Amino acid sequence: MTGREMGSSGEIWVIAEQRGGKVAEVSLELLGKGRKLSRELDLTLSSVLLGDGVERAADELVFHGAEKVYLFEEERLGYYQGDAYARLLTDIAREHGPEIILIGATEIGRELAPRVAARLGTGLTAHCIDLHIDEVDGTPRLVHMVPGWGGNLVMHVVCSEKRPQIVTVKPGILPKPERNEDNKGEIVRVKPRLRADDFSRMETVEVVEETAEGIPLEPAEIVVCAGWGMNALGDLSKAKELAGVIGGVVAGTRPATDRGWVGEDQMIGQSGRSVRPRLFISLGASGAMHYTTGFTGSQVILAVDKNPQAPIFQVADIGIVGDLGEVLPCLIEELKKTG
Amino acid sequence: MGLDILVCIKQVPDPDHFSEVRLDARTGRIVREGIPAIINPLDRNALEEALRAKAKVSGKVTAISMGPPQARKALEEALAVGADRGVLLCDTAFAGADTLATATALFCAVRKLGRFDLIFCGNETVDSGTAQVGPQLSELLDIAQVSGVREVSYTGDNTLEVKRVLEHGYMRVRLKLPALLCVTKDTNQPRLPTVQSIMEVAGKEMITWTATDIGAPREHVGLKGSPTCAVGVYESKSGRRREIMQGSTEEKVRRAVTRLRELGAI
Amino acid sequence: MDFSLSREHEMLRDMVKEFADKELAPRALELDNKREFFWEQVRRSGELGLIGVINSKEYGGTAMGHLARMILIEEISRVYPPMGFFHQTGNLFMYAVETFGSDKQKKKYLPALCKGEKVSAFALTEASGGSDAAGLQTEATGDGDYYVVNGRKMWITGVEPADFVGFVSKTGDKFSVFIVEKGTPGFEVTRREETIGLRSLPVNEFALTNCRLPKENLIGEEGRGLVCALTTIATIGRTGAAGVALGVARGCYEAALKFARERVLYGKPIAGLQAIQFMLADMNVEIEAAKWLCYNTAWQLDQGKTSRDLAVDIARCKLYAVDVANRCAYRAVDIMGAYGLSPEYRVIGLLRDALELGVAAGSQEIMRVTIGATITR
Repeated sequence: MTGREMGSSGEIWVIAEQRGGKVAEVSLELLGKGRKLSRELDLTLSSVLLGDGVERAADELVFHGAEKVYLFEEERLGYYQGDAYARLLTDIAREHGPEIILIGATEIGRELAPRVAARLGTGLTAHCIDLHIDEVDGTPRLVHMVPGWGGNLVMHVVCSEKRPQIVTVKPGILPKPERNEDNKGEIVRVKPRLRADDFSRMETVEVVEETAEGIPLEPAEIVVCAGWGMNALGDLSKAKELAGVIGGVVAGTRPATDRGWVGEDQMIGQSGRSVRPRLFISLGASGAMHYTTGFTGSQVILAVDKNPQAPIFQVADIGIVGDLGEVLPCLIEELKKTG
Repeated sequence: MGLDILVCIKQVPDPDHFSEVRLDARTGRIVREGIPAIINPLDRNALEEALRAKAKVSGKVTAISMGPPQARKALEEALAVGADRGVLLCDTAFAGADTLATATALFCAVRKLGRFDLIFCGNETVDSGTAQVGPQLSELLDIAQVSGVREVSYTGDNTLEVKRVLEHGYMRVRLKLPALLCVTKDTNQPRLPTVQSIMEVAGKEMITWTATDIGAPREHVGLKGSPTCAVGVYESKSGRRREIMQGSTEEKVRRAVTRLRELGAI
Repeated sequence: MDFSLSREHEMLRDMVKEFADKELAPRALELDNKREFFWEQVRRSGELGLIGVINSKEYGGTAMGHLARMILIEEISRVYPPMGFFHQTGNLFMYAVETFGSDKQKKKYLPALCKGEKVSAFALTEASGGSDAAGLQTEATGDGDYYVVNGRKMWITGVEPADFVGFVSKTGDKFSVFIVEKGTPGFEVTRREETIGLRSLPVNEFALTNCRLPKENLIGEEGRGLVCALTTIATIGRTGAAGVALGVARGCYEAALKFARERVLYGKPIAGLQAIQFMLADMNVEIEAAKWLCYNTAWQLDQGKTSRDLAVDIARCKLYAVDVANRCAYRAVDIMGAYGLSPEYRVIGLLRDALELGVAAGSQEIMRVTIGATITR
């Protein structure tokens, strides 16, 4: 059974997002998953890119596995434009009939995807944590795995009839594929025939970048996350020291963010960032589900908390039950000692 | 004069009780009974923004919800903070709806209620968190739409300018009414009802409609109208090692560091 | 029997709960330790319509009634008893003016009080005793269009910041209730008591020294003051104290329950130990009983019954609720061990607050006098 028997064009698309010509990490992560699915289902992995002066970005998509890139370039598409982007994507999707469309569940993706899905009258599954193929009566189908209820449950969702089936995935959930400059791919330049009514009722007039405080979270190899329990120490200095000793980045839970210890863009959790570092250290956070979903993709999880019943110990690899005031200095010393 | 404003709200299980959710082993379905329900937190922000719009440019605020009979309570809460009228879409035909089917039901109700100038939604709900219903409803209504709205400026003459958040920064978007805006928790501070406004609830209009009342085709709402559906629900399993270190603080830390090295974490 | 609360009462409870948890709780401990009051929260309470719940809309009130008042005082006191007690004492003057005062007085005093822009106090107690009301010494002598008042009042909650004070005075061989406004010559608030509980609410003495008050400052008729005062204290003071007690009891219970679930001794949470469970069970039963006693009394007041009809009910609910609050506070401190005695946690403060409730609006023994004398009549 092959994917071609499922739909018309034999393609799986990744709608790539770019900002200022740089491809969003999540789009590359989706190419990784897309590649895997394309092999399993015998589909072509294509990507769609809209923007202005984004040729280099199109190349990056190919270097990360896209076999084909539909490139829309136009000055007026430089910023994300809600109506224009939605129409262009809908039109090209109708024209080529991809089987599956993957979109990053970014701020823009979460707005664009449902609009395109509604125009196409098709199904959309939001913020999947994984996709896999299973078989029903010998027919392969794509199963979308979606966390719900604060991460306590995982739903398996399918879009049985409508095509394309559209899925969004949050950044930091899927692994990024290898970059290979030897990859070859076809760049298809599409002329975006823009109309006056693409901008008449809605127009983006400005995009303002605000740099995040501190080192970006998602690519970090080691993350030290401060929870409410750090209150006993008064501030994050020990957490920062620990991060410094092992080369990690400091983040926080929702209570820590509310407290002002870390900024909103360093908040880990359901309503914040997701990370999958090599090592995730949770300090003084009890482990509520809407927090743990933010780091379940981590390779190794170390948790420190004073409450032995804290749910965090259920999702950690290594657990230390103890007073943060005692454990942290000790941990810092031990790590310094053994280099 | 003034604007006709609509707010879409949803009654959801209280997130503080999420860990109590269970799966029925026999049916594989989620058991919600006994878990207290609240109005979706971001919908309170949507309501607040609607009430502020009403105060700024005058108008009437209608709150609408698609849900079971108990969702009426969420609509009453909307009336208690100042919405003028509540509409409940309640019918077994609506059950099992995915976001497109939900948006379709809301669309049919809006069509019956008449034109709206401005529609506010919360960006997402705390249970499913798809953030899809707002954008999809706007498509069915064929009106302008922006999510992640942090600030709204009424620039006069049926136009708006909004500040829309991005991961690192924001976007300014100009819109023409009618428009649908999805707001975040940082958009405003939702007001509390007052004793006076609570006592005014009884005098406000509360409409309940079925699928037939709003002319919603059965094959486009509920489970039948949902392109996506759940084929299974599972409790989240954690494949973690769960090794709790023992001994004195020093011993625990030493052992932990050793294990982390063994696992290749440091 | 349908014991369910109306939709409006449930909504009120939800609103006050959120107000208390979000706006009162964060500073409760700090204000108690510093003996500072939440004056801006008083205005906020007025904004939400909570202060004038027993006053008519015509004068700025919300007229939601006594059961509404009971519920809101309970929910506030669960988190911050001084503020609940403020509603108790602050409503006394407002009720007296609404029920016995002239239209002119209502228009003059009530709107600002309902909004929380001004505050009031009500004074009965003197050195001669509060329980022995008829033994009071303050005297007002007629002088043309004025009265000249001399006397001292003691243990008056909220008089120090009060803009308006209602007080009981002898006029000849009968009693009358007068209004004195802040700044009136001859009216002086003196020493503040170092109260052990409800520390954020100032309790002071005040003196009236040849204080001249115009005749229009009489609430109701001259000589009919005792009826006004005792009705006010029973209808508003005792029910209010009962409401505070309910809140304190629940606050203790919830704190103890939470602690018991989290505190691990002998390898498991102490909530699994029978001794602890028994204590929590006793708290649970008593709070439930006190709640219905109080709600029923308030509901009956809403049905139009007078404080005379309900003399026993009112005394009963105050007596029982306050005893329950004290017992629950003590048990909570016990359950929480050293943490229970620590000023960092809530319960020792709640225990201190519970102690103050004994003498509020009439001592526990006066409640027994009321009940005992009535039932044996």
